[in-house]
Amino acid sequence: MLQIDIAGESLTLLAERALWWPAQSTLLIADAHFGKGLTFRARGVAVPSGTSDDTMDRLAALLERTGAARVVFLGDLLHAREARQPALMATLAGLRAPGVEWVLVRGNHDVHAGVPAELGLTVVDEPWLMAPFALCHHPDARPGHYVLAGHVHPALRVEAGGDRLRLPCFVFGPDVGLLPAFGSFTGHMSLEPAAGVRCFVAAADRVLEVPHASARRRGRA
Amino acid sequence: MSGRIGRRTVAALDSLSAVLNAHAPLMSGSDDSPGDLPSIPPNDASDEPTRADIRRIVASSSLGRQLRAARAKKLREQAEPVPARPTRRARRAAGALPDVAALQARIDGLYAERGWRVFDFQRTVWAHLQQGRSGLLHAGTGSGKTLAVWLGALLRAAAQPAPGLRVLWITPMRALAADTALTLGESARVFGLDWDVGLRTGDTGSAERARQTKALPQALVTTPESLTLMLSHDAAREQLGGLCAVVVDEWHELIANKRGVQAQLALARLRQWNPALPVWGLSATLGNPDHAMQVLCGPGGARVAGEIVRPVKLDSLIPARTERFPWAGHLGVKLLDAVLTELDASPSTLLFTNTRSQAELWYQALLAARPDWAGLIALHHGSLSRDVREWVEAGLKNGTLRAVVCTSSLDLGVDFLPVERVLQLGSPKGVARLMQRAGRSGHAPGRTPHATCVPGHGLELIDSAAARRAVAAGRIEPRYSPEAPVDVLVQHLVTLALAGGFDADALKSEIRTTHAYRALDDRTWDWAMDFVTRGGASLAAYPDYRKVERDADGRHRVPRADIARRHRMQIGTITADSAVEVRWARGGKSGGKSGGKSRGKSAGQNGGQSVPASGAAALAGGRLGQVEEPFIGRLKPGDCFLFAGRVLELVAVRDMQALVRAGNAARGTVPRWDGGRMPLSNELAHEIRTLIALAARGDYPEPEMQALRPLLDLQRGWSALPDSGDLLIEVMQSREGHHAFFFPFAGRPVHAGLATLLAGRISRNRPITFSLSFNDYGFELMSAAPVDWSQEIADGLLSGDTLDADIEHCLNAAQLARRRFREVARVAGLTFQGYPGQGKSARQLQVSSDLLFDVFSRHDPDNLLLQQARQEAQREELDAERIAGTLASMRAARHCITRPPSMTPFAFPLLVARLRERLSSEQLSDRVARMVALLEKAAGP
Repeated sequence: MLQIDIAGESLTLLAERALWWPAQSTLLIADAHFGKGLTFRARGVAVPSGTSDDTMDRLAALLERTGAARVVFLGDLLHAREARQPALMATLAGLRAPGVEWVLVRGNHDVHAGVPAELGLTVVDEPWLMAPFALCHHPDARPGHYVLAGHVHPALRVEAGGDRLRLPCFVFGPDVGLLPAFGSFTGHMSLEPAAGVRCFVAAADRVLEVPHASARRRGRA
Repeated sequence: MSGRIGRRTVAALDSLSAVLNAHAPLMSGSDDSPGDLPSIPPNDASDEPTRADIRRIVASSSLGRQLRAARAKKLREQAEPVPARPTRRARRAAGALPDVAALQARIDGLYAERGWRVFDFQRTVWAHLQQGRSGLLHAGTGSGKTLAVWLGALLRAAAQPAPGLRVLWITPMRALAADTALTLGESARVFGLDWDVGLRTGDTGSAERARQTKALPQALVTTPESLTLMLSHDAAREQLGGLCAVVVDEWHELIANKRGVQAQLALARLRQWNPALPVWGLSATLGNPDHAMQVLCGPGGARVAGEIVRPVKLDSLIPARTERFPWAGHLGVKLLDAVLTELDASPSTLLFTNTRSQAELWYQALLAARPDWAGLIALHHGSLSRDVREWVEAGLKNGTLRAVVCTSSLDLGVDFLPVERVLQLGSPKGVARLMQRAGRSGHAPGRTPHATCVPGHGLELIDSAAARRAVAAGRIEPRYSPEAPVDVLVQHLVTLALAGGFDADALKSEIRTTHAYRALDDRTWDWAMDFVTRGGASLAAYPDYRKVERDADGRHRVPRADIARRHRMQIGTITADSAVEVRWARGGKSGGKSGGKSRGKSAGQNGGQSVPASGAAALAGGRLGQVEEPFIGRLKPGDCFLFAGRVLELVAVRDMQALVRAGNAARGTVPRWDGGRMPLSNELAHEIRTLIALAARGDYPEPEMQALRPLLDLQRGWSALPDSGDLLIEVMQSREGHHAFFFPFAGRPVHAGLATLLAGRISRNRPITFSLSFNDYGFELMSAAPVDWSQEIADGLLSGDTLDADIEHCLNAAQLARRRFREVARVAGLTFQGYPGQGKSARQLQVSSDLLFDVFSRHDPDNLLLQQARQEAQREELDAERIAGTLASMRAARHCITRPPSMTPFAFPLLVARLRERLSSEQLSDRVARMVALLEKAAGP
């Protein structure tokens, strides 16, 4: 857990790869990709089950711990149409306590997968405005708001003292912030940190800020 | 460019650039260029060269030349008009062969008439083939292997006349297939047989494939992948059931890899349809020809040795002054002047490098040194587009190129008669490889193959001396077939499920007839069947899985067309790393030609973060070649790199295409392809150890060792030269940390394993993180904290106890298995390569093997594919058996721990070429916290 101030609001970065906004009792989760393994299996690629359970368990634990009144999924909640399998949908729906609002900002995968009504989600197109933030799936700048988005699955290569690791990360630029992908079965894209951008890696049970002089040595001309 | 360059050179440059930029229109003004530069096929969708192109390319191969001369003479003598060739259909319908006695008489007659000698081994092969016996023919290049087997196959076909496809010719290299097909067709015609020899490879266009589906030629040249693809269709039995002989060319290239296993499985299927089918392998000299024969032919095969032993001259380019620390010199380009002198002295030279990046560097260096050679020197490696490669090969055959810088892409293939000389740039790394490469030169009458090693750095001089000694002693590397790889097995199951389905028990017996799966146990078989039908052995683990299903009639089939399509696409990629096409960027105003002048906006930049370059405006233009995806993945738009002999700037990457434009030469970085990391062979490593032990005793038996004396003296002065019973360990401290260098001289794979093992044993007892680096001579363990090595050794660091468990433990920790899993996952159909224009549904199935490895390890740890990755890592990355052996000799050795005042000549290459494997017992979060602290410190207040 790590507190930072973004756009005048205090946000908590969670090592579970989610973002907690205490003032609004809101939990932000990007790119859960539920049912991805299932999609692979249905199309003839033998990926074992359990990845969605894993993601589900972490979501349940987070809901319990934060007692969030609102959850906003920043897109790509389901991986594909095949993910809409009744048992999975029932488990997911079961996580929603009465009175808790669940919002899905539609992502590119949700467009193809569709969102079953039984999940009781409020489905919106980006941007979902909660001043001072614009909650989006795609990280496009929205003048007048600070954008919090997913889609990229950011990761950072950290290299120092003869050691090197690639870790999912939070990234906060001047007007756009990226959340790491929440799903257990998701790939990552390595980013090059740039000046004026803060990066926080999620390493097991901790969140750590990585100074941007960090990572890869190349890039220094 | 300087004004001194003549018009002819400029024209030649234009032609060359037109070739490299294959889809750009040919420049005008090149009309006075050398007339024999082939024209470039027009920019149409099919990449097929015209028949005339191929004919021209093959025309000057040695066999082709002989045959042409023979035919011309015959025609002159007969002075008859050339009869028009009957149409394809007519020839196929005719399938006319004289009876076997008549054909044999014709062959004998022609040989006698030409004054050619029929070698005994050729007669032996003919006799075996006529009796239906299988076998392996092994001999050096240029000894008439091809003709021996081809005529044998024709004789057999004559003895058993039948319509349809009769002879299947399997070759490992797609690039060779067209040449081979033409050569075979030509030589059949010399003996009066108007056979149609077809071609079926990944390059074969759909029109030709459709024609072949209607009526197959009498002989077909193909690759293991394309053969397997044919087997995935219903019509396979009808098409391939009438074969009377199969030839596997360059079997030594296939035997030790999964493509070879794929070939074994395909042959098992062919034999199922025709148990008497003779299969003949052609192979270069191998350390274990009996095994090679067994794997291909099974019991009862014959082994025939070609009788021609050609002398080979091997020497080294010894620098006038051997520097003691030449390491900073990049990849041996330091010897450029000496190499130029050698090139001047020979009309045609092949320069072999071990990696494609070295090839690019050398090509640039040569061109910079001798701009007047533009158009006369060329570059050839597997990543370049086919047009370029064919142009280069044609230039070699007709002698218009004076030098070609190449990689193993030219190790094989038809002989280039004009090539007089081979230069091996960098260590030869293996005895067989050096012999093979040397054999590419000296084919002209009265010439001897001559290869000269050009050391990349001082120590590599030892390598070339060692290679020469190993050749003299006849110690050549053996090659072994893989044992029952599960990934190839599951791929094959799906392939056959596509071809009209299979009966499980019958297929199990069939697969057990192959060498690789002769000991396939029921457990593995059942697992593989479960994998393709249910996803895995545990029913619960793979709900909703569909791939292969059992029909009501009991046969296993693939029910879904999209799965079938993806699988067929997969078959061809058994060995390929995921590759990205390099293409010129077109569109906007920054076309490829004018690149560098007008720069478009840098694509895909957003708030300082690179996000997927979805907004890139560039369109794809002409194709330059392919590079591995990880290499492109390390570049950002705007970065420059060397490729296809020019500096390119990356514009954007999308849909597995890298769009580029001409870059700024000053900013070029050299691509670092992972594919070219060749390990030193055991045979060579052994000789090197011997030579160093001799030097330790003051004996410098070869000229290379003489030249290396200053370096060896320095090594002795600062540290030591290990004698045969010594283990040298150098310990020192630098700003980076505490280093320990071990020198067992056992070859890179073993050192990788040993480094991992020792690091693992120490870090088990206390939190410490090591950086590892290894090369052919030794390995380095570097840590932030000091280690008392004599104490560790006394405490059992080199112990043989719990070795298996330790190796297993270290494997998991060091994630060597994870690396092997990349290929395993691809072959087994878990990951597949994206392709341009793929649909959304395919994109939703994209996943990295890394991620899959994690998912399997966590949710299905008993998965046999994971086990296979671990085993492959043990065998191929670690070589567990040799680790145990080397560890035992390290234990028994006299431990010679030195504290040199500075990096020694032996240690320096380890430092320079550091490849880190991390092995850590620290908690992940502690590691990161420590790294962050270090970075903070480095960044300053």
